[in-house]
Amino acid sequence: MAKTKKEKKMTFPKLPDIKDLEPKKRGLVTTKLQVFEALDPMGPEMHWMKEFAHEEDPWKDFRLVEKIQIDQHMTYRHSLGKYSRFFVELENKRFFATKCPKCGQVWPIPRPVCPNDLSICEWVELPGTGTLVSHSISRFIPSFMRDRVEIPYVLAMVRMDGAPKTLFTHMLKNYGKEENIYDGMRVKVAYSDKPVPHPLLLMWFEPA
Amino acid sequence: MSERRVFVLGGGISKMAAERPDGTIRDWVVEAVMEAIKDAGVEISDIEHATTSYFSDHFDKQLKQGAIFHDCVGMCPKPNVRVEGGGATGGLAIRNAYAYIKAGLCDSMIVYGAENMGKHVPSDTAQEFIAYASDFDWEFQIAGFYIAYYALMMRAHMDMYGTKEEQFAKVSVKNHRNAIYNEYAHQPMDITVDDVMNSPLITSPYKRLDCSLLSDGASCLIFATSEWAERYCSTWKKKPTIELVGTGCGTDFMRLADRPWPYPGIAHFRAKRVASQMAYKMAGIKDPAKELDCAEIHDAYSGTELVSYEDLGFCGLGQSGPLTDEGYFDLGGELPCNTSGGLMGMGHPVGATGVNQGIEILRQLREEAHPKRQAVIKNGLGLTDSHGGTGTFVAVNIFRRVD
Repeated sequence: MAKTKKEKKMTFPKLPDIKDLEPKKRGLVTTKLQVFEALDPMGPEMHWMKEFAHEEDPWKDFRLVEKIQIDQHMTYRHSLGKYSRFFVELENKRFFATKCPKCGQVWPIPRPVCPNDLSICEWVELPGTGTLVSHSISRFIPSFMRDRVEIPYVLAMVRMDGAPKTLFTHMLKNYGKEENIYDGMRVKVAYSDKPVPHPLLLMWFEPA
Repeated sequence: MSERRVFVLGGGISKMAAERPDGTIRDWVVEAVMEAIKDAGVEISDIEHATTSYFSDHFDKQLKQGAIFHDCVGMCPKPNVRVEGGGATGGLAIRNAYAYIKAGLCDSMIVYGAENMGKHVPSDTAQEFIAYASDFDWEFQIAGFYIAYYALMMRAHMDMYGTKEEQFAKVSVKNHRNAIYNEYAHQPMDITVDDVMNSPLITSPYKRLDCSLLSDGASCLIFATSEWAERYCSTWKKKPTIELVGTGCGTDFMRLADRPWPYPGIAHFRAKRVASQMAYKMAGIKDPAKELDCAEIHDAYSGTELVSYEDLGFCGLGQSGPLTDEGYFDLGGELPCNTSGGLMGMGHPVGATGVNQGIEILRQLREEAHPKRQAVIKNGLGLTDSHGGTGTFVAVNIFRRVD
């Protein structure tokens, strides 16, 4: 099949470009956004398999669509549970991990229980220094993140000194130019003096 | 394990799209079920059990949607169960159908897969809803968007093996091209490596055209034993006979940072290796690259498909890039992958995605795909690979044509 108009037809019929109703024109439904006739997304010519093709729109009696707006806001009383000490210590500018008393593994992202042997861990303080293992630089971030991170946004995977087996994930800031960032560079935990919406945001990484 | 065998009788798909303004998720499920029933040649009243496959309770702000899908297609008061594992949900639902039938809980099972992700909420809100699948206190707070993690994984792969951006751009070109011949696909596109390379940079090394889609859509598969099919399925032995011969599931630490080194480290999907080895053993497959005729891979991002080839054992670690350069995974190549268009071309309504993959393998093995996207069927073996999170849940299913 050559690149013809027929191929273009295989995409969804152009989505209706319908403006939302002005509040005054919403009639008896205060949240009414749109009322329109929807298209048949497959259309009679779309089906390669004849047994699924149809001559006439089988849904012709059900093409009227109304859209309304729903707003939902939720507030949680969110517990940080047995991980809380890590977050509380960040306010004291100290970086804590957990150590398994049985296998000795230090988990830089703390865990109340070691998954290797189900032993109950103990808290240990780390120096907060480490080595960058990998990172990514984002040009765009979703709007819900914009109150907490900068653009471009650098997500860093760090091997913390004193916890060699696994990694810690956080953002990298204050690196100057992007060219200065390289995997293998030394980094350290920096702490916020400003209020933050989640205690994990009390810290970030920056070049050591 | 019991001697009961599980067959795929038919499948149906609703048109995938950025938005399906003509209906809601329940309407798409009905559409897919009606098509599946027709394809299989069965009556809904004869089917004994259902599995519901959707990922998010946020997108449709409706809990226990399984009850609605079930109700809409006239399955009440028969049993129904929901399966969920992020992006692996659809693959796990197929595995669930296998388990229930194999165990004798039922002789026939319908699987409903669906997700309402298109434009029901603004795309930023959609990103947030998806990000709830990462660890809320430890991942979501600092990078509540998956691409930042996937990009970092791919950079690690590039550092380890010298994998190039142009090599995974070729995956995007292939999958969008395969979708041109799939009338159900969300985003069929005829593009070049340059188009991918020049599309807007999102998170280095990924550009917009390296990413999968937020889609509206539903799909449905029907499974049964041969005894049930002989009695209730009018297409039994009239259409090619496709059996579900292997299924595997693997998992990994929720947070990428907690995984052991050197394998998987942060470059590989250990869960995928575990799931595929399990499935190969069941299906008696020794050399998947030689024995499989086609595979549907979870290409959430183009590079993910490359890494998946390696962890699924299609090639050695680090070999996926060079093999992609050779066209090994293209239609006409040794092992065509994502003939449907994959998550990038066909679309990615999460709960439907794994089911879509199963339907594509069904069409391929029956040799009823559009001729331009039909793979050559030699051994009659096809595989689906679905994964959730950064590879926290993986389901691999293997289908064989047995007529």
